[in-house]
Amino acid sequence: MKKIAIIISLASLFFIAGYSFYDLVHTSIQGKFVQFSIILVITFTLIIIIRYITLIFFSILKNIQKTKDDVEPRICTETVSILVPAYNEDMVIEASIRSLLTQTYPYIEVLVIDDGSKDRTYEYAKRFEHVDGFKSVKVLTKPNGGKSRALNFGIEHCSGELIMVVDADSKLEPNAVELLVQSFNKPDIAAVAGSVSVINRNNTWANLQALEYIEGLNMVRNAQAYLQLVNIIPGPIGMFRKSALDKVGGYDHDTYAEDCDLTLKLIAEGYKIDFEPDAIAYTEAPEDLLDLIKQRYRWTRGILQAIRKHKEYLFNLRKRPSTSFVLWYMLFEAIFWPFMDFWSSVFFIYISATTGLSSLIVYWWAMFTVLDMAGALYCLLVTKEQLKLVFYAILYRLYFIGIINVSKIFATIEEWFNIEMSWGKLERKGRL
Amino acid sequence: MNIIAFLSFTILIITILTLVFGVIAYFLYKARENKKAVNQSSYEDMLKELDSDYIFLTDSVQLTSKDDEN
Repeated sequence: MKKIAIIISLASLFFIAGYSFYDLVHTSIQGKFVQFSIILVITFTLIIIIRYITLIFFSILKNIQKTKDDVEPRICTETVSILVPAYNEDMVIEASIRSLLTQTYPYIEVLVIDDGSKDRTYEYAKRFEHVDGFKSVKVLTKPNGGKSRALNFGIEHCSGELIMVVDADSKLEPNAVELLVQSFNKPDIAAVAGSVSVINRNNTWANLQALEYIEGLNMVRNAQAYLQLVNIIPGPIGMFRKSALDKVGGYDHDTYAEDCDLTLKLIAEGYKIDFEPDAIAYTEAPEDLLDLIKQRYRWTRGILQAIRKHKEYLFNLRKRPSTSFVLWYMLFEAIFWPFMDFWSSVFFIYISATTGLSSLIVYWWAMFTVLDMAGALYCLLVTKEQLKLVFYAILYRLYFIGIINVSKIFATIEEWFNIEMSWGKLERKGRL
Repeated sequence: MNIIAFLSFTILIITILTLVFGVIAYFLYKARENKKAVNQSSYEDMLKELDSDYIFLTDSVQLTSKDDEN
């Protein structure tokens, strides 16, 4: 009955929207380019609105489900091996290890994997090496070979049934490990993602990213978790079942988004991926624009590489509906959204240049800003974050997303033409 | 001037500036990365680039073993 109601509501919405476009295109504005652009922009707008509503709806459902499940906590005795791959991280490695040692979960094995650092990472990490009851810290070193190889090296040398992966620039809340372990309450859950929060909120770029992490990443993951189909386990905090990692062969080395690639491999294998919003990792966000572009460029190309690698599942709706759904969603976020946003901006500029100043641009911008602010307010209230971040939603829509989308479009074009790229490691400021 | 017209004008200008600035920022990032890549060249990369067995570092001129042969 519920399904029928949803289908009827969506069909009605599409019918009204379709009729409105038809009416608009045939009565007021002439010209093929303008007509085509109007249809495209309105379709895009509708999709984005539906996306927002769906995500918030699923996120609410997930929160309700979580409140219900929280009644009986599971008694956990699994050993957790925490892998910390580190390359030139001497600015942050000590703070990172300290945060791991203050975890409330008792059965922890910390493995720092120095990936051939040229600085003093190995030396600083080595100072923490010890065995203390159920907790231990071990520091391994290997020639530089990239994050995925370092992680596989760690997986080979660890002994835990559960493997947690954290970035060397992450700092965890003391209960993070405990909460993540609790989430492995069903055998088909292969991995659980945690929340990522920006720690260095000391300028506008960092505050905008703080909002983006809460609304754009954590809320999306919470919604995806309702279906247990989280598409990316974030680098700063994620936990995996070792048996599942062994089954899919660990990390591959052929993409720049090894976390996304691994998650897709697990989903394709039929595993579930969950999200624990209260397990929080703090991370340093890029503080200047060029570093931010560098990060987003790598993310975009990495995600596109992962999608291309698993492209056979895109049209495999019958055999692997969940994998196909996740891939289409990622394709939408990585390509369709930035291109359409850019197209819409160009269209509004064109309309204003040819027919005079159009108020459409205000309504369009206002609608998205209101949506962003409403979404942000909901997320900030749920996560008990600073409410002042809501106002950054105005700047977010005004210029932040426009600049990021331009770099995403360039990254997509370069990926299309297979232009060579490097990992693009960010310089740490040591804010942990 | 009414408020909608004023907002339309402001947002239009910001949209244009954002797109232009986005493109400039992207190329600035590319230029910075290329510069870094050159600065971080290894000894072996330099040898390959100079097509030589040795690298001679002087104040004004870079000599290579091929120069010696000449």
